[in-house]
Amino acid sequence: MSLLDAPGATVVTAESAAPPRQGRRGRYLPYYLAISPFFLIFGVFWLYPLGYSFFVALQRWDGIGPMHFVGLENFRFLATDATFWHSILNTLLIWVMSVVPMTVLAMLIAIGLNSTIRFTGLYRIAYFVPNVTSTVAMSLVFASIFSGQFGILNWVLGLFGVDPVPWLTNPWGIRTAIAVMIIWRWVGYNAIIFLAGLQAIPDEVHEAARIDGAGPVQTFFRVTLPLLRPVLLFSVLMSAISGMQVFAESQVLVGNRGGPEEAGLTMVLYFYNQAFYYNDFGYGAAIAWGIFLVVVIFAILNWRLIQRPERRRAGEVAP
Amino acid sequence: MTLTRRTFLAASAAAIGAAALATSGCASPATASPGRLTLWYATRGLSEAVLRDAVARFPAARLDPAAVGDGLKHRLLAVMSGGAYLPDMTMLGDDVASYFPDADQFVDLNTLGAARLAGQYLPWKWQSGITSDGVMIGFPIDIGPSALYYRHDLFAKAGFPSEPDDVARAVPTWDDYFRFGQELQRALPGHYLITDTKTVFTYSMAQLPVKYFDRQNRYLPDQSHVREAWDRALRAFRLGLTAGYAGSQDPGTSVDRHAAWNTGKELSFVNASWVTGELKESAPGTAGAWRVCRTPGGAGNQGGSYLAIMRACPRPQAAFEVISWMLSPENQPRTYLDAGLFPSSPAAFADPRLLEPEPFFGGQVTMDVFARSASEVKPAYFSPWDINISDAFTDELSNVELAGKDPDLAWTDARTAVERLLQRKGVI
Repeated sequence: MSLLDAPGATVVTAESAAPPRQGRRGRYLPYYLAISPFFLIFGVFWLYPLGYSFFVALQRWDGIGPMHFVGLENFRFLATDATFWHSILNTLLIWVMSVVPMTVLAMLIAIGLNSTIRFTGLYRIAYFVPNVTSTVAMSLVFASIFSGQFGILNWVLGLFGVDPVPWLTNPWGIRTAIAVMIIWRWVGYNAIIFLAGLQAIPDEVHEAARIDGAGPVQTFFRVTLPLLRPVLLFSVLMSAISGMQVFAESQVLVGNRGGPEEAGLTMVLYFYNQAFYYNDFGYGAAIAWGIFLVVVIFAILNWRLIQRPERRRAGEVAP
Repeated sequence: MTLTRRTFLAASAAAIGAAALATSGCASPATASPGRLTLWYATRGLSEAVLRDAVARFPAARLDPAAVGDGLKHRLLAVMSGGAYLPDMTMLGDDVASYFPDADQFVDLNTLGAARLAGQYLPWKWQSGITSDGVMIGFPIDIGPSALYYRHDLFAKAGFPSEPDDVARAVPTWDDYFRFGQELQRALPGHYLITDTKTVFTYSMAQLPVKYFDRQNRYLPDQSHVREAWDRALRAFRLGLTAGYAGSQDPGTSVDRHAAWNTGKELSFVNASWVTGELKESAPGTAGAWRVCRTPGGAGNQGGSYLAIMRACPRPQAAFEVISWMLSPENQPRTYLDAGLFPSSPAAFADPRLLEPEPFFGGQVTMDVFARSASEVKPAYFSPWDINISDAFTDELSNVELAGKDPDLAWTDARTAVERLLQRKGVI
């Protein structure tokens, strides 16, 4: 006791403890070095722009000249900007209009692919190709398809005696056209993911269902679909992420301003429009932060959606 | 040397260190390629042939032309805000006024002796590249004089005046044109004489000597001329003269308009001269059927571009020599023939090569019409915010035309949008 209390003893312990601590630091250095590229790149290309965009959002700035500090003026304007709220609504509408049919279609294709025996590789590639096609090239093709007076779609509708629909001038027509483009692009991608999910379900489960007397439809809804739940949630999450960022489809189809009634004006297009078309970087940055908030809210909703079944299951077990 | 983990780590550490040293040790160069004179231009924004000649003619300048494509403005903004890798010279579009608040980033061309060349160019065009403080940042490249394009064959078939002079006499004003259109539509139902309400508004505004601001960048208290242009566009729509094609002003997406040219559904339309190339390309089958004449309501200009010298350019005088030679009255006819860029120098209008009869226009010498239009354009001051404001009005017009919005509500919304915008920009 008295020995430990003595000043000399303290010195000894400190000395004996210090070298290994330094050694440990040195020992870990290569590991930190090895993971550092990510953090360096994250810092330079993510963290710094993030901070800088907030700084810019507080300025009135045309991107070239001197900045004028305006405080929260840009955000105040954003909150009362009907166009911004409209662009959020558009983004959500287009997302819902694309994700629901897309999931159903992708599921049907996946089931079809799962049961084909020949040329499976070919089909998988064919369904994936739209996903890697240039969006701009695609938009030009879709512009010809949806063109109001001379489009292919209206011509086909005409064959069935349906009056031509002004796809690219009617607000709902514009949203439909954009949603169809998104469906076309992502349906194959999701079908491939669903297919992987389907193939991961062991045959025994289906066999057991069959023995218990379940028909194909019943098997699908009672066995396959519940087992695909994690895959489905993944696909919805991914589509939400890309759905919040819809931009090129609208821009090429209806232009920078989003077309009549700004029906095709998505959040990101509005941001682009203000920052890079009208050189209003201060307000553009404020819009970017507005988009960030919307995405955060959306992420929380998504997260709760995924968490809920766990809680319910726990509740079921408790009583 | 075999690549072990140790050597790999050491090498990467050394590389990172070297990169860090390089970025901190010496600053990025101010211009894109030091020692040379870089010139950024949009695709088809200058004549390739003239550029080649300029490179050969000024070996000491070491000119380095770079076709930047459609994204020129974005690239320019990026390098200007970064203050590095700037071009020595750059093309600026018809939004030249949006660079006026940052005129100090450019060389005042008047300090290089531009003023003595002023007399060779159209005065209104020359003036449009000069800020209200008298700083000249843009040297005129081309212009876009307007004309009425019409189908000679279909006009004649319906028994209407069809020769350019007769048509011009029949439709001196917009109101005459609307009446003419209504009568023509009775003879040829299902045809249109105006692309959309946006055209009427845009070209009506282009005919005026005032826009939205005065030269001191003060928002004009009297905006009744805007209301007049708005009402005129609405009247054309109410009379059923406008076709209302989506994206008619966006090349590439104007599928309906191109198809209407081919089928003859669009009998006539008002447009700037630069549409000729697009017309020839998308409706080759109608060659010989088109004519041009004076625009109802008078001459106007839409579009056109400029060359500017950046402040960072170390040899502005050499750059100016190159620019003023390339855009000289002698070279402008070549540029017109080569790239379809309409001359901004009236001397070029008399060039015999430009006065050839054009088969696409049934042997008409269209230069006569465009040259007159170009000379009659009224000088007007464009503020940095004009394009924003004009878009706000034409957006709302499109809402009325295509989405059935109430016109009064559309007007109120457009005015509110403009006022809010100008407040945010700190202008009013």
